[in-house]
Amino acid sequence: MPEFIGWLLDLFDDPREGLVLYFIDEKGARHRLTRPFPVTFYALGSDAQLRALWRQLSNRPDEITLCRTHRMDVFKRQDVTVLGVTIKNPYQAGKIFHETAAQFPELEYADADLNISLRFAAETGAFPLCRCQVWSDEAGQLTHIKVLEDAWLLKATPIPLRTMSLAPDVAPHHAKPRYLIVEVAGEKYQLDLHTWRPLLINLRALIQRHDPDLLLTDWGDTWLLPKLMAQSEKYNIPLGLNREVGRGVSWHEERTYFSYGQIIFRGQQIHLFGRCHIDRQNAVLWSDYELDGTIEVSRVTALPLQTAARVSPGTGISSIEMLTALREGILVPWQKQQAEMLKPAADLFSADQGGLVYQPKIGVHKNVAEIDFVSLYPAIMVYFNISPETILPDPNGENLVPALGLAIDNSQDGLIPKALRPLLEKRIEMKKHLASTPNWDPFRKNFKRRASALKWLLVTCFGYLGYKNARFGRIEAHQAVTAYGREALLRAKEAAEDMGFEVIQLYVDGLWVHHPQKTRPEDIQPLLLEIQERTGLPISLDGIYRWVVFVGSRQNKKRAVANRYFGVFQDGSIKVRGIDARRRDSTPFVSEAQMHLLELLASKDQPEEALPEAVDYLRARLRALRSGHVSLPDLLVRQRLGRKLEAYHTPSPAARAVMQLQAAGKEMRPGQRVPFIYTLGKPGVFAWDRPQAPNPHAVDVARYQRLLLRAAGIVLESWGLDEEKLTERVLSDASQLRLPVPPKQHPRKHRSNIPGVVHPAMDRPFKGQIQ
Amino acid sequence: MKGMNKQIISFPVPKTGKISLVVAPKTVIHSLMSMLAVLALRGRVIVVDGGNCFDAYSLARALRRRTHQIQPALKAVQLSRAFTCYQMVAMLAELPVDGTPVIVLDLLSTFLDENVNFSKRQRLLESSLNLLRQISEGAPVAAWARAHPAAEGEYQQLLMPLLETAHDIWELQAPEIPDHQLPLF
Amino acid sequence: MGRTLPSATQLMLQEEASLARFRRALRRGDQLVFDDLFTSAQKHISAAAYAAHALPFETFLMAMLLEEHKELMRLREIVERLQEMHA
Repeated sequence: MPEFIGWLLDLFDDPREGLVLYFIDEKGARHRLTRPFPVTFYALGSDAQLRALWRQLSNRPDEITLCRTHRMDVFKRQDVTVLGVTIKNPYQAGKIFHETAAQFPELEYADADLNISLRFAAETGAFPLCRCQVWSDEAGQLTHIKVLEDAWLLKATPIPLRTMSLAPDVAPHHAKPRYLIVEVAGEKYQLDLHTWRPLLINLRALIQRHDPDLLLTDWGDTWLLPKLMAQSEKYNIPLGLNREVGRGVSWHEERTYFSYGQIIFRGQQIHLFGRCHIDRQNAVLWSDYELDGTIEVSRVTALPLQTAARVSPGTGISSIEMLTALREGILVPWQKQQAEMLKPAADLFSADQGGLVYQPKIGVHKNVAEIDFVSLYPAIMVYFNISPETILPDPNGENLVPALGLAIDNSQDGLIPKALRPLLEKRIEMKKHLASTPNWDPFRKNFKRRASALKWLLVTCFGYLGYKNARFGRIEAHQAVTAYGREALLRAKEAAEDMGFEVIQLYVDGLWVHHPQKTRPEDIQPLLLEIQERTGLPISLDGIYRWVVFVGSRQNKKRAVANRYFGVFQDGSIKVRGIDARRRDSTPFVSEAQMHLLELLASKDQPEEALPEAVDYLRARLRALRSGHVSLPDLLVRQRLGRKLEAYHTPSPAARAVMQLQAAGKEMRPGQRVPFIYTLGKPGVFAWDRPQAPNPHAVDVARYQRLLLRAAGIVLESWGLDEEKLTERVLSDASQLRLPVPPKQHPRKHRSNIPGVVHPAMDRPFKGQIQ
Repeated sequence: MKGMNKQIISFPVPKTGKISLVVAPKTVIHSLMSMLAVLALRGRVIVVDGGNCFDAYSLARALRRRTHQIQPALKAVQLSRAFTCYQMVAMLAELPVDGTPVIVLDLLSTFLDENVNFSKRQRLLESSLNLLRQISEGAPVAAWARAHPAAEGEYQQLLMPLLETAHDIWELQAPEIPDHQLPLF
Repeated sequence: MGRTLPSATQLMLQEEASLARFRRALRRGDQLVFDDLFTSAQKHISAAAYAAHALPFETFLMAMLLEEHKELMRLREIVERLQEMHA
């Protein structure tokens, strides 16, 4: 087997052979190759401490080699003396490092706990799923590998992955599954989960016959594979889930963590060897970018596919930064020590701010152009060279950061800009390419998913700069990025106003502008050029709205909120943010109705013309609701459990649903979404995953009616039908059952209460209201 | 903030050669900012914030009660925030030793992070206290440890060495009177 | 890294809260006008945040004044137009 062309599928360390690599040959074969792969970590400290460590480790000459050398410490901006500890077998590296760190806690360490895939990529350039040419010797040892398509290529050759899909017929936390559905090579098999022996024998046969590279499961991490493995052991029928013989599967614990102020739960994970396992229900952002996006993440981060599928974008960004550091010979600190620089308290007022966000003018705006900076924060990092080591505390130097008393050192490219530049450029290229790809193009979907994966990485890289445990994070760099962001947005605003536009809204990286005569895309072009000129950052026209509506806050309608709006572009497409139609916790019954109303409005030249149809539509939906013609899944609410049950004073509906599940022996963790239906009486909810079937007659019809009319009111209010008037109109239909109308939420804020100003409508009772 | 004991206690400013320690709930921050204002009007002060709690607005108001020129004093306060116990030690090790008074806010907070193993945190706290001792030989040092309502094991074990290090200790408790009680006089 | 300082929105709520005793002693009608003043200042909260003033209440007062003056100019225009019509 001297030479072949193919793809690197998986790699991992091995107690005997060092590194094991699995390849897909483009001619169809699968290859297992090995390679010795010594890995090095570094220790930093006083000479005396390093000498002690040397003495301690030098009595294991067969496993470890030591050397005194110099490496770049990015925070100190200079080379430092380090002791390099090279471990012959990577499988031993973790153990030896942790013993060392426990024995010599005073030392600092670097390059200590890196994924072997990153080390391999740094050394050879080859990353998971890359197309490559491979040379090996007779003993099956990899001798040379050459990358044929790098990670930044726009169109890579498709990988001929053999995929097998395994899924129970229903969600196991919802009901007891009866069948295992296996899909492979275009065939579908249904195996009975009540008869384990035949199931195991059949599944084993299928795995043997098709030898899949990828097992794509539903609930494989948390239910299916543990179950299969337990039964396989019980009946003594090995399934061969791994390709690598003699290795067990690798279990990773479940965890709960915070991300962007939200609590997230991720279930336990099961990783295989030589074959990949992805649980679609436990993978990150699967519904957003699926396998195409996951492959993209794996390629650009150099993390193995199974890992890439399950890590947050923050970990992805961290991998890209670490890989860049490894390639540049920069130390990757094990524990970040770097503290904030001492700075005058007077600077904190400006520094401790986020992006610039206006309060938009509530109501309808016509002919509004939305202009967005392209990946604003990553672009600032890359084009303004923002990195932990390029930020200096110098209020008088060149390249001052706006209003922060910091300067940027442009004599060298920073580590972060180096790591992010190819990612940002690929994203911009993909965006351009997508804009020119017609809808029927078969690659369009693939492109969209991969673009989305890159978008998530880029969105995260800014927050990661300020994360306290980020290896290459630094508060000052984080603050500099937002300072440049605010500056860019204000310059864009000034450019627009100088050219006669009215600024309707500013939001972190975008602005909404209006000019009575400039209503075509080509009219906006000069403004784009001017902004680009004044800021040095790429900017694009998202579109021109025929109309856009900014709505007030849920609590106080008069108070504007920045990110709650909907509108229709000139091409008829609809954009919605922050209202029910976009919220993941709102029920399909409500969000679909709201979207339908938006489509009605968008279909008319004058949106007002849609009102009679809208009222008819709502009446029809309410009739369907009352007569039980809305299916129960359409009434499901999916709220996140915000904290542990014990922490609630008055349990939220989600918490009450979780209590029901707990009573049925089902555990839920903070961060998990709980599906439930609103029901009559106490406790007012019915958890969807309870073993019992819900009673369709117990549905709290009044509550869903209220939710529907509130959501409809938000959309129709600007054309004269707010929630109150709408309720009156819709329910004036004689056939309708009258239901109570919710009380106003903030009566004291209502203008009509001001003495001398009497609003006649407030004084008479509501039509159609019964108390 | 709502009504919750905004009454300000005037702490004496710390003196060289001593470590003054305040053990008090979060609301003490306004009193500490008031003390800081007094120091800042005399010259440079270093503040190390271990709990992301430096209340710059409270400091500005405290300064404004004493002077029209608040900017020079706001510039005299040199601030650095530590978000992990590693950062806390690194920061104390890097402080200039030139007699500038040092105030440490919410000293224990970063050491209560369960992601770092406890013996490691104890060791890092010990290093921090050694550094504070060294600094106090040439400069005034004051530290605030946030009192915990339910003082469990780890917190107590971390507080002990701190109490042993300090020369004078102010222990304050949350007011007994609930803040919604109707004041009759 | 969480923020250290409260956001401009929180600051405004704090300033509003610190005037709670003042508001309580006002007549009901005046209370509502008081609330309206804060609602109008809220329109300029992002400018207040960007200004990053150490004593933010001064900026909030300026924001209220700005809205008051806008309203004054609007009313003046209406009055002038009415005067022209009757002239």
